[in-house]
Amino acid sequence: MSALRVDALSAGYGGAPVLREVNFEAEPGQSVCVLGPNGGGKTTLFRVLLGELAPESGTVTGPGRPAYVAQTERTRLDFPVSALDVALMGTLARGRWWLPASGADRTAAATALERVGLADRAGTRFGELSGGQRQRALLARALVQDARLLLLDEPLSGVDPASAALIAGVFEELRAEGRTLLVSSHDVESARTFDRVLCLHGRQVAFGPPAEVLDRRTLEATYGSEMIVLEEGGPKRAVTIQHHEHGEH
Amino acid sequence: MEVLDFLLEPVQSGIGRRALLEVALIGAFSGALGFWVVTERLAYSAESLAHGLLPGLVLATIAGAPLLLGAVGGALAAAALLALGLRDERIGPDAGTAVAVTGLVGLGALLAFLPDSPKRLEELLFGDPLGVTDGDLIAAALLLAAGGVALLVLHRPLSAAAFDSAGAAALGVRPALLRLALLALLALAVAVAVQGLGALLVLAVLVAPPVAVRRHAGTPGRAMLAGAALAVVAGAVGIEISFHAGSAAGASVALALCALAALGAALPTRVRRVARPGAPSRSPRRAPAAPG
Amino acid sequence: MPSPLDLADLPFLRDALLELVLLGIAGGILGAWIVLRRLAFFSHAVGSATFPGLVAADASGVSPTLAGVAVALGYAGGVERAGRAGREPSEATALLLVACLAGGVILASDVFESGAAVDRLLFGTLLGLEGIDLALSAAAAALAALATLTLGRAWAALTFDPDSAGTLGLPARVADFLLLALVAVAAVAAIPAVGVLLVTAIYVLPAAAARLVARSVPALICWALALALADGIIGLYLAYWLDVPPGPPVALLGATTYVVIALVSPR
Repeated sequence: MSALRVDALSAGYGGAPVLREVNFEAEPGQSVCVLGPNGGGKTTLFRVLLGELAPESGTVTGPGRPAYVAQTERTRLDFPVSALDVALMGTLARGRWWLPASGADRTAAATALERVGLADRAGTRFGELSGGQRQRALLARALVQDARLLLLDEPLSGVDPASAALIAGVFEELRAEGRTLLVSSHDVESARTFDRVLCLHGRQVAFGPPAEVLDRRTLEATYGSEMIVLEEGGPKRAVTIQHHEHGEH
Repeated sequence: MEVLDFLLEPVQSGIGRRALLEVALIGAFSGALGFWVVTERLAYSAESLAHGLLPGLVLATIAGAPLLLGAVGGALAAAALLALGLRDERIGPDAGTAVAVTGLVGLGALLAFLPDSPKRLEELLFGDPLGVTDGDLIAAALLLAAGGVALLVLHRPLSAAAFDSAGAAALGVRPALLRLALLALLALAVAVAVQGLGALLVLAVLVAPPVAVRRHAGTPGRAMLAGAALAVVAGAVGIEISFHAGSAAGASVALALCALAALGAALPTRVRRVARPGAPSRSPRRAPAAPG
Repeated sequence: MPSPLDLADLPFLRDALLELVLLGIAGGILGAWIVLRRLAFFSHAVGSATFPGLVAADASGVSPTLAGVAVALGYAGGVERAGRAGREPSEATALLLVACLAGGVILASDVFESGAAVDRLLFGTLLGLEGIDLALSAAAAALAALATLTLGRAWAALTFDPDSAGTLGLPARVADFLLLALVAVAAVAAIPAVGVLLVTAIYVLPAAAARLVARSVPALICWALALALADGIIGLYLAYWLDVPPGPPVALLGATTYVVIALVSPR
């Protein structure tokens, strides 16, 4: 019984489809790394999965509303909310949004902050947190939402090592709870730690376990000229050129 | 108690009491709504809406209809024309807005200057709190009640969407619908407040209170309450000045509001400034502020 | 309906006609740059900012024209210093303009007791245009033409490629400030005829309509000139016929022209 199933998906923004031929399945408890260049369709795929963009063809079968952890650049740093307030926003997904947050809601938010190691920063303004702490606060929001499927947009980019370790730890917990994670990333090496890898470049280039997918041919097909392979004696390491142009598509 | 007698002078007359009540009711709602107007960068739209509803007001005076009706009709027409004016990308939103607003102001003024029109243009442009009727007060009270409830009910979705629109959408919030609701509340606030402050000055009651508090308030809720309170205070100060100095009442309230904004923006803040994106964070030397 | 020839026959209307022709020239030429450089809001704001100064000058015998030009240039300087942020309507600017309008009306009705001046300053007048008003409008028109001939290339470069303009060795900031200053002076020149609130009727509306059909900068300037002159002269005639200040009919004509062209022209 798969948690997420995508069949023959194709999606676009009016002209030619920017994403075609996407077919994959993810089981509960699996983590999937989504690799691809900017403009290759990662964001488009997420938008379809979130229900923001209607696919031009194909189907998506998923477990209800996914949680979404975006880049913190997309949030307003000058908006006066604390880390706890951000976590509390996750309770909006549970309905009764027209009432103030209940005691149970607050407890859930506080618990989530503890899980991400921000319990001592609950009252700090979001804009005053460090980059890694902000990412963890957004993760806490997703935890409160209690979704079976989590979509994360480059959650570890620009994050300090301590936060990154904490976040990776939470990912393990979520997988143990049977939740499915889709993580888009620029870091090809880290993809080896995931259960599955999905390579996108306008279409699905490959999907499968990292050992099968992360070979030179597939990576070149995915990244084209944006990839450099380093072969310095030791094992081959693939490095992609990272363009920090968020907000495309 | 000479000072108290002095201050209470406006309250002695029916006109004064109604003027104070009108600016208090309008100020309470607009001062709170203003937080969202500024957060969602709607100040310029509010200004354009306010100027653009002038023909509606003038037509109401010509037809002998209630000003509120003219204001609401004018606001709807202005909103539609503004949306059309923004459609063509070649001329840019600022020129598109100018075409709509200048055209509407020109139309309104033209109608007002026609020989048979009632000579009320200055009142429509600059407001007339001293001419407020009981009907106006009822409208303002209803606005405060209904609009206040709407703001309470929408508070959590509005905050989530203002903070992170995409993330909020993932939570089930509908940012497009929220924006529509906000614009509707804005149009209503402008339509009611225009009678007290006039089409040219009404923006002050929506924008000055949030500007005054924005560097000082810790949470959206506190910013809205503080904004409402300050707007009421500024309104009272304006009416007092108008009574004692004999100055135009609507303009006095508007100036009091602007002075308040300048004061609030200039005061040193106790709330620590927000870290710029990309800047290294500084570890605080004191305990963080209490949760709001 | 009075005869259109009255515009040329009656002395006071001749002055008004000349004024609107000169403003039409300035409005057409500068309007093209205002639309291209996204200065529509600035041109409106600079007019409103002069309002209290004009009221005070009007009542105390100081030349309102000089006072207006001084305030307008000061405002232009402030906007240039503020950089990008100064052009776009911000909350602070919006409140500043409200304060100027409120302050002006209090000065007029309560301090100087010159309440009648308010309508004239806000919407313009057919009568009472003085020599200095015509002189300023002529100067604005001449400067607009001259500046376009000398600075036009720089302004075009700034519009279409702001980043490379610096590498071309153009003194971008100076050229930019000169445009702001010129728009400021021209806006003040338009105030006696169309009023503080409707400055954009001459400087933005015709050029915006022209932008819909023109395919090059010279074509834009020509179309804007033609429309600004037409709007101004026909608007003057309407003002005379209906016995209203000139600002409102010119504004309404400008907006209507825009709508008609927008409906008729291909995307």
